[in-house]
Amino acid sequence: MTATRPRPRQITGRPELYTSYAQQLRMFNTRPKRLAVLAILLVALSLPFVYDDETLRLLALGLAAAIGAIGLNLVTGYAGQVTLGHAFFLAVGAYTAAALSGDPDGRTIGFGITNVLVWLLAAGLVAAVLGLLVAPLAARLRGLYLAVVTLGLVFLGEHIFKEWQELTGGPGVGRPGPVPELFGIRLNEAGVFTAEQKLYLLMLVLLVGFAVLARNLVRSKVGRAFSAIRDRDIAASVIGVNLTRYKALAFAISSFYAGCAGALVYTVSGFVEPGSFNLLLSVQYIAMVLIGGAGTISGSIMGALFITLLPRITRDLPAFLPLISADASVPLNVFQVETVLYGLLIIGFLLLEPRGLFGIWVRIRNYWKAWPFSY
Amino acid sequence: MIEFLSGVVSGLGAGSAYALLALGFVIVYKATRVISFAQPAFMLAGAVAVSYLVGPLGFVPALLLGVAGVALLGLATERAVIRPMVGRPVFVVAIITLGIDIAMRVVVNGFIGNDVRQVGDPWGLRRVNVLGIAVQQRHIAMIVTTAVLIGVLFAFFKYSRLGLAMRAASYDQETALAQGVSVGTVFALSWAIAAGLAAVAGTFVATGAGVDQQMWIIALKALPAIILGGLDSLGGAVVGGLTIGVVESLVSSYQSDFAPWLGQNFSVVSPYVVMLLILLVRPYGLFGTREVERV
Amino acid sequence: MALRKAPLVAALAAVALLTSACGLRESGEEASTGVGVTKEACPDTPNKDNGCIYLGAISDLTSGPFAALGVPITDTQKAFWKRVNDAGGIGGYDIDVTTYVRDNKYNPETHKQVFDEIQGKVLALSQTLGSPTTAAIMNDLKAKKIVAAPASWTSVWEFEDVIVESGTNYCFESMNSVDWATENLKAKSVLAVHYAGDYGEDAAAGAKVAAEANGLKFSAVETPPGQDNQASAIKAVVSKKPDVVILTTGPTDAAVIIGQAAAGGYKGQFIGTSPTWNPALLKSAAAPAFKAMYRQSAPWGPFGSDTAGHKAMREALPNVTAPTDGHTAGWVWSYPLKAALEKAAEDGDLTREGLLKAVTSLDKVDYEGMLPEDAGNFAGEPNDTVFRKSLINKIDDSAPTGVAVEQDLFEGPTGQKYEFSKACF
Repeated sequence: MTATRPRPRQITGRPELYTSYAQQLRMFNTRPKRLAVLAILLVALSLPFVYDDETLRLLALGLAAAIGAIGLNLVTGYAGQVTLGHAFFLAVGAYTAAALSGDPDGRTIGFGITNVLVWLLAAGLVAAVLGLLVAPLAARLRGLYLAVVTLGLVFLGEHIFKEWQELTGGPGVGRPGPVPELFGIRLNEAGVFTAEQKLYLLMLVLLVGFAVLARNLVRSKVGRAFSAIRDRDIAASVIGVNLTRYKALAFAISSFYAGCAGALVYTVSGFVEPGSFNLLLSVQYIAMVLIGGAGTISGSIMGALFITLLPRITRDLPAFLPLISADASVPLNVFQVETVLYGLLIIGFLLLEPRGLFGIWVRIRNYWKAWPFSY
Repeated sequence: MIEFLSGVVSGLGAGSAYALLALGFVIVYKATRVISFAQPAFMLAGAVAVSYLVGPLGFVPALLLGVAGVALLGLATERAVIRPMVGRPVFVVAIITLGIDIAMRVVVNGFIGNDVRQVGDPWGLRRVNVLGIAVQQRHIAMIVTTAVLIGVLFAFFKYSRLGLAMRAASYDQETALAQGVSVGTVFALSWAIAAGLAAVAGTFVATGAGVDQQMWIIALKALPAIILGGLDSLGGAVVGGLTIGVVESLVSSYQSDFAPWLGQNFSVVSPYVVMLLILLVRPYGLFGTREVERV
Repeated sequence: MALRKAPLVAALAAVALLTSACGLRESGEEASTGVGVTKEACPDTPNKDNGCIYLGAISDLTSGPFAALGVPITDTQKAFWKRVNDAGGIGGYDIDVTTYVRDNKYNPETHKQVFDEIQGKVLALSQTLGSPTTAAIMNDLKAKKIVAAPASWTSVWEFEDVIVESGTNYCFESMNSVDWATENLKAKSVLAVHYAGDYGEDAAAGAKVAAEANGLKFSAVETPPGQDNQASAIKAVVSKKPDVVILTTGPTDAAVIIGQAAAGGYKGQFIGTSPTWNPALLKSAAAPAFKAMYRQSAPWGPFGSDTAGHKAMREALPNVTAPTDGHTAGWVWSYPLKAALEKAAEDGDLTREGLLKAVTSLDKVDYEGMLPEDAGNFAGEPNDTVFRKSLINKIDDSAPTGVAVEQDLFEGPTGQKYEFSKACF
């Protein structure tokens, strides 16, 4: 692309016709996309005034988790490096933020810096630096080897967090989550708005910011390098992509997102226990990426919301099934059914639609594009 | 010295269970290129099945029947859930196996109930003296059983028609298919073998103290073992499993004296440290096949 | 064909998701009087004229590490409140503990989520299982003045007004055990083998205090959960040869440690806290070792004890074929809440504020003999109100849960003098 880029020509009557690459690569390259994003944003902004606090808290959790899912999607979906170490970076972010914003007189480390922007940035940066440490491994290992090695990171991290009781409070005790304060307003205490309304809005704004950043990243030179590495790393290095550098970059960025997400998720839930950052948490994030659709930003958001809301749905579903006992001592009671359903829904979903929620959206879109001649 | 040797022996005992679990992982991996996270559920199911059958049947028949049952369960799972996913990205399949694990363990937990169930093994906590070292009888039984099973498996892969078919399918699925190998049978059989091995391991882990709902976590120890040995190497799985067992046992005996700064219970994570160290030197594990790279 | 239907399925799922998971914001929600208390009768109650008080229960019911305790506790509490209802309820109200039962899978985040789900519908919590899980909702409990009966015995609870704990905590229980061992077993050295976290460290802290007070040699070993992870604990027991081991683990790990230590030539005695025991261990290979060297310390008498409360419990649970001390615990833990509800009903203030006021002025609870009345003192400073007595059980094949009382409720000299100004660990 040359410096003097010709202005995209608009052809009268054909608003959707691309006349340049730049136009095609634009973030919102079609008018329906622009309108749809606008509409979704408006709906999302109005939700705090429609739904009750419990739902908002759940949605805020989902939005915060979406930031982490986007991070994982950058390294796994775009750069093709499957990692099970995400829980570790979430933990690093959560503890960095909790320690910075924590009560200096509490029983765990705290510095009393409660400004969201400060501890959020710090959480991301600390996680990113640790992410860079994994990079040399990523440069040497591929596929499942990398996955299990990063899993080792989770186990080592769990050990450290359990032992470092001044920071984490220790297993079974835990510590309060990060304290969010912005422009002198405490976001986790009720004021003009309830805590949940404020937290939801904070998460929404941050998620939009992080999502736009990620979307911009993946359509830049860096993003194309990531895709090249994912598709065939040797071919990528042949055409001049510096593998070590870009893999390191992918891990750093992904860890930055994870760090921020960890800080935010535990701001919403308000309590951090070192036992939470285990294999299961990593797998949940992998599931978000796969269920949402690997290699899509909007898919990550859908996946994160789906996984966050799924337990809530499975708790409601057994009410519609007859003959299930609510008595916990009888085999196949509602509690067992809800756990089984959680597993089965994930299985069923991936069996029916391996491309994830984004794939479903593509299919629905294509159906209506050709309507009424769709088959 | 005696203490060191008895640490090694008890490590080998625990390690033989890890080796069986690791073999299961590797067999499934070789056939389908997937790490099956359903192994913990099969392991738990095996131990629970044996604990129910042991009353009427006695230990050995119960073990055989339990293992056969769990192998069938593995076969059925593969047929119902994994087969439709052939050709899908392996990580999607891995997550599916995780879903299977969650769902199946809840059902198995229902059979465990509030109690600690006993598998009724004949060894109990008795020990024998071997060259001056007190060795638990159950560890000897585990090591011997594992050795026999490994012998049988290796002979099966080397000499039987089906074993040959499995090796062929693992080497190149399409070519094997073109030669008339039923790749579907290979998939089903590898799941069945893996589930059966997990059931044996589960039963042996449960000897001594019994089965509780948290026993499944032990199956995860096979993960560093398979990476250590090399994902696609059966011999590597055995070596890896035994190594992890011994490392863990020795670390737990000596770490509190020599390196207390590593924190309490460092032995639990020591397998992962060993795995990391080995991978820094050999990226495909001790015995794994180096991937041939073509652009 | 199946594939083509996927979008439809997904769309349906999305609709179900939006309608089921999401409650709409109501105007003027959460009236300050009478959350969780209705004029309508409870579902399935004998007293159709009574109103209904809804209590929530959050327990470990399926896949968490304490499911083997959570399920019997939850069951027993249902039986406990059914008995209260059958006797006419409290102040014209029946108590419902079945509608809002949730599974926390022993995960603090899940605990918090299910708590958010039910907290607008219940007056109080009849059970909140686990320490880290309860800590995750502690701020909400305090802010919304929701009284909760815990299902754990850590010394932290004594310092929270909203928590109505019963019996002593691990800290004092272990002090008493060490005092008892010094006197009765002539112990000179103590080793605490414990899990990390609130459960194990609370007990280890208490054991340490008592060992120092009695001039005993003390050491502690932290051990992780898992049958194959007990090697270092066993080695410590066998090589240090302490006279008494204070054990705070789960039952299978206790079986591994005691069985292997005995096989390894250890000749001392074990005293385990109540969660180290499960009657099924009598069928395990470690049974002889248990019989020879194990005692259980406990905050109250086991299932088969001979008190009016125990008898009522056994009658209320006719279908229980395999009783555990989870049953007993669930029953005992319910008494303070019952007393507080009665008091609040007497004061004519069945709101959350009223209930909390009733709790903070409650200085005795009728445990029907399962515990003395002053075990239920919630009015005043923790140092004055904390209940310091525990008992020692020994194995008894013929008892319903395999243990019978050896030393009835007692207060050791260390615990008696201990200045209880903050949680033990």
